[in-house]
Amino acid sequence: MNAVAEQFESAARQRQSAELGMWVFLSTEIMFFAPLFLGYVYGRWALADSFAAASQHTDVVIGTANTAILLTSSLLMALAVRAAKLRQQRSTVTLLGLTGALGLTFLALKGLEYYSEWQEHLIPWLDFRFEPAKRGGAALFYFLYFGATGLHAIHLSIGVTIVFIFAVRAGRQGIERLGNQLEIGALYWHFVDSIWVLLYPMIYLVERHG
Amino acid sequence: MSSLRSLLAVWLGLMVLLGLTTASSYLSLGAGNTLINLVIAAMKIGLIACFFMHLLRADSAVRLTAAATVLFLFFLGFLVFGDLLTRPELPAPWEKPAESPGGPYWGDR
Repeated sequence: MNAVAEQFESAARQRQSAELGMWVFLSTEIMFFAPLFLGYVYGRWALADSFAAASQHTDVVIGTANTAILLTSSLLMALAVRAAKLRQQRSTVTLLGLTGALGLTFLALKGLEYYSEWQEHLIPWLDFRFEPAKRGGAALFYFLYFGATGLHAIHLSIGVTIVFIFAVRAGRQGIERLGNQLEIGALYWHFVDSIWVLLYPMIYLVERHG
Repeated sequence: MSSLRSLLAVWLGLMVLLGLTTASSYLSLGAGNTLINLVIAAMKIGLIACFFMHLLRADSAVRLTAAATVLFLFFLGFLVFGDLLTRPELPAPWEKPAESPGGPYWGDR
């Protein structure tokens, strides 16, 4: 934004308010994800064997690749914000495009993973099949798995949409018009990345050596 | 503004931590596995927050917001587990004893 909105006395104040507002929003998002994590911690403690057995059935290769993809996308996002501050329009647009493309790659791999889990009857309620002694706990694990990764995928889809909108606007209208919106959007992208960083060991790395 | 070099260094650090957490989970370390995974996840989130999200250079109001969130998260977790860990789980009179060690499957109607 090149103009300062009338309620702010300076551009710096406006930037500070926008940043604080985004962080407060991210705080509410953390509280939104927290019950899923809490439910998981309970299950991991009370139904430890079933959770370990259920985790063995997840695809650690796709999970690890997706973690690397998201971490790299966060780097590209940070580089895009840097390029925008340096007024390098072309590299900003390119970096934003690549960030969004990595986000789409993540979602595609996640879709593949969901498909193979469906084929292996690992979706609760949809003909869920598991070793009888651990069935209840495993169902809880997969319930939390689909809840948490599904919620994360929705957030990432929103992030990808925002990033592509920024890329198009930066290309057509120039990066001056984006102002600090890009920086605020980047905070959201890094937050979604952080959620996945925490989900990754919880889902894929439980008793892997067993 | 962050330098190109510091951003790349943070990314490299994140990748090394990812490699460590994945590799360590194939070693049998007992409770150590969970501990390593959690510590590394916290370090990665710390790196992302401090450098990619510029938390270190942010206004004090922003840093206070982030700190308060983490603090309240611990309060809520403490209250939940303070309850769960200190009280016996008593079955209701109409409940059958647990049918399988894995707990009942609530998906069966």
